[in-house]
Amino acid sequence: MIDNDFDRRDFLKVLGWGGAAVALSGCGNTSIEDGKETVVSYVHAADYVIPGISVYFNSTCAQCEAGCSINGRVREGRVLKLEGNTSSIINRGKMCGLGQAGVQHHYNPDRVREPLLRNGDKGETITWEKAYGLIAEKLNGVSGDQIDFLTGTVSGHLKVLLGNYLESLSSENHFVYEAVSPAVQRAANMKSYGMEMPRFSINKAKVVVSFGADFLGAWVSPVHFSQQYAEFRKGVDGQRGVLVQVESKMTITGANADRWLVVRPGTEGILALGVINALGAAGLQLPADVAAAVKGYDKERVSKDTGVSTEHLARLAALLKERTPSLVLLGSAAEGYAHGSENAAAINLLNHVLGNVGKTIEASSAVPFPQIAPATGNYAALRLANNRLADGQCKVLFTYATNPIFTAPTEMKFKENMAKAGFKVAFTHYLDETALQADLVLPLDSALEDWGTIVAEYQPDGVQIGVQQPLMEKLYPNTRGMGDILLALIKQRRAEEYKSFDDFYSYLRTALLKNKGEFAEAGVDEDVYWNDLLSAGIINVGGNVNKLVDKISTNIQLPPPPERDKDYPFTLIPSVTASLRDGRHTNQPWLQESPDPLTTIVWDSWVEIHPKKAAELGIVEGDILEVESRNGSIKAQAYLFPGIHPDAVSIPLGRGHEAMGRYAKGYGVNPFQILDRVFDKETAELAMHETLVKLRKTGQRIIVVKDEGPVGGSQQGRKIAVSVSSDQVDLSEEV
Amino acid sequence: MSVSNLLENWSEFRHKHPVEDVPHDPYKWAMSIDLDACTGCNACSVACYAENNLPVVGKEKYAHGQAMHWMRIERYWPEDDREFPDQGAQFLPMMCQQCEAAPCETVCPVGATNHTPDGLNSQVYNRCIGSRYCSANCPFKVRYFNWYDYPTTENVWPAEMTQQLNPDITLRGKGVMEKCTFCIQRIRVGQRSVKNEGRVLRDGEVQTACQQVCPTNAITFGNLIDTESKVHQQWKAQRVELAVDEQTKDKEEGGSDLRGYRILEELRPYPSVMYMERVRESAI
Repeated sequence: MIDNDFDRRDFLKVLGWGGAAVALSGCGNTSIEDGKETVVSYVHAADYVIPGISVYFNSTCAQCEAGCSINGRVREGRVLKLEGNTSSIINRGKMCGLGQAGVQHHYNPDRVREPLLRNGDKGETITWEKAYGLIAEKLNGVSGDQIDFLTGTVSGHLKVLLGNYLESLSSENHFVYEAVSPAVQRAANMKSYGMEMPRFSINKAKVVVSFGADFLGAWVSPVHFSQQYAEFRKGVDGQRGVLVQVESKMTITGANADRWLVVRPGTEGILALGVINALGAAGLQLPADVAAAVKGYDKERVSKDTGVSTEHLARLAALLKERTPSLVLLGSAAEGYAHGSENAAAINLLNHVLGNVGKTIEASSAVPFPQIAPATGNYAALRLANNRLADGQCKVLFTYATNPIFTAPTEMKFKENMAKAGFKVAFTHYLDETALQADLVLPLDSALEDWGTIVAEYQPDGVQIGVQQPLMEKLYPNTRGMGDILLALIKQRRAEEYKSFDDFYSYLRTALLKNKGEFAEAGVDEDVYWNDLLSAGIINVGGNVNKLVDKISTNIQLPPPPERDKDYPFTLIPSVTASLRDGRHTNQPWLQESPDPLTTIVWDSWVEIHPKKAAELGIVEGDILEVESRNGSIKAQAYLFPGIHPDAVSIPLGRGHEAMGRYAKGYGVNPFQILDRVFDKETAELAMHETLVKLRKTGQRIIVVKDEGPVGGSQQGRKIAVSVSSDQVDLSEEV
Repeated sequence: MSVSNLLENWSEFRHKHPVEDVPHDPYKWAMSIDLDACTGCNACSVACYAENNLPVVGKEKYAHGQAMHWMRIERYWPEDDREFPDQGAQFLPMMCQQCEAAPCETVCPVGATNHTPDGLNSQVYNRCIGSRYCSANCPFKVRYFNWYDYPTTENVWPAEMTQQLNPDITLRGKGVMEKCTFCIQRIRVGQRSVKNEGRVLRDGEVQTACQQVCPTNAITFGNLIDTESKVHQQWKAQRVELAVDEQTKDKEEGGSDLRGYRILEELRPYPSVMYMERVRESAI
């Protein structure tokens, strides 16, 4: 299969296995003539098809980056439902609503089905041969540094191929952009713990203090953390875990807290230092430099700055001192300011002071093959890519798994800048906002039709490589897997090296079998090993454990809370919801009709405002408000929400699409558009919570479409959803 | 069963529930839901759409109260005039409580909703004439009416999406009432498969879609008769009895320090779902 003159090292590099050792642990593919048929002749039934009997195949969820393993129910050649794969250490058989909707991504009626070439305002259907030819033609005479790839998170063998393709083009311009990412936290964790993403053990903690980390909703690996949370509530040593959430706008995690502490926007770091100070006052021994750093943060000052009462501050400190180990988490709400890194440092310092590092914060494992480790995204990458486009440095732009025209603040002028690139290619599932600006649109297979490997950034134990395999035959003949496309493109440059691979499947199989010797018993047949691998859907790899550092930095510069701006009196909190995230899956109707857990609103955007503030301004539910920042304005319905600081208003992200499909287009507004360009001073990440806005009543009023009834969140004195204080209940005998 | 047969032999068909004369055997399906574990994430609700062919009705019909979510998450706020909900919100997964003496059953003019031998409140779609009396009489408001012919006229499932529909359950047409079935299609498949082995279902062999997806294992479903089942053990540990309208433990002096309760039990529907109270830490 491989030419003799082909160098082995190069070959490993091609396959992405150039590193240390692995521990691999694996079904076949359905082969159905045509999933669209409603009447099937069973005279010549296809393999694996027994009419009326479901078969189950393992794969990996691609709805977000958490890498949950899934088990798809397939009947008569069609995938019907996804469940969690119980063998996965990430999701242990469980899933979230977003993951459940994966089938609606696959069967979405608005998927692009043919390669489209721009002709004026229209897209003309062309063949793949022509599309590939066009790319080769456009790349001809363009130097490597004029070719840019702008993608979302990529990992696994797709990332290897992408890297190799870029190398073949002599381009180093791979920009990995995620609009909603824990980028500030990664940098802060690197400083505090020596790694970007250590393991967080909520289940080992007796107290969890989360500064805006929505770990039950949209933060890092929510299904995994939800399971940890369930264990945490059951208790460590019989003591039920206590959750304290600190944030300015209640997230679903905040809604589950034993104590939800509302803070003035941006003062999370001050509160963290205040807690350290209070711990010292309560008798905890603080290192001298820490004691000096928090000296000014006495409870009166901290209470005044943050709005948290001195009593709650003292109780929190007392609880943290008494119950160990604890765990302090840091999330987007604390990161999203110009001083986000400083907030993060202050919050991480609290973990050091409490002695949590090494107990509930543990070292994660490095992916043994760096080539397949995820390329994690951030905002800074978009900035770089945008600057290059603006300066005309990029001649050919490829976009994949990202929709910057939707997610970039309008003020960045990404759309205008993108037009400056001579040739724009979008690899996409939908004609979203960005694909509409491309010259060439190449339709991708759905995640349930494609091959691949997925490595998640957050790894709870060792390293788990998720195997992605088709759960059914392709719905449309002219979509392609991203891997197949990259392979075809790379063959244009390096035909010799890749000629033995007919498709991405053969590439993947060769790559994965390459390591068989290390993990399978000696003499195991390749096909047996491969089938085992596919039926498991998971490869568990030990990986070298990173070295955890417990490094205390007390150089933290927190600004005092600013005076409210007279012209723009509110802080805008663009909230990340568990189902819509950054808007990539808004065209899945289950998600549109799944009520927001806190407001119960469906199919639309809303502006959350505290009832007290609303009364002051004469705003009632359903008033259409114009929310204006210095960079634009959007209009949405008001919703009176008690879980928000009166100085803030919040609009959820994900809606407000102008394209993408029938279920997304025209529903709600997009707060990304009006964000101010304020950046975290240290990491240059977009400070998502620094936008100031003013409100104007437009005079219109509508009936808010929501699930809660006319009495809102009231039980009308009946015993429906009951809450009990922990000292009134005996949990010891529970099953 | 003809209506005349039904009327003539009413007492035979209409047992007094909870039944003494014909006890459930070998199955009595029940649930327990731990509100301290439930985070309100809605995964159960979406999983129910996926499993049970629930139509997405769209914004306008949702506004008219025509959503078809068999499993919904209710969200409540504390009602004591505090400025902020500083102990969070209260979430409650709400679906058909599969009442033993279901108020919906007695009012159905055509016997479309019945008590099954394994303790479920069934809904016979092709018997239903759409009077909606059952929905009016349901104290939990968990019955959903097909105001439109979703499968054919409303384009709820474009051709591509019809391929996802679960072939184990029918699509419901206009004028039919529907509700949570405890995933009866899964129960029946399980029952039939173990019948061939000459045994009854063991705990965990059948999971409802909501239970299976729940990231915090807040939902437990199983056979209340099976003493090995988790749901049996939970009901027992919480001292929640099926066939009473006021729990013995609550009548004791000082009340109970156990969390189990049933919603609107005093109305005597004898619900088959036990909830466990949410806990909030007193030390913080």
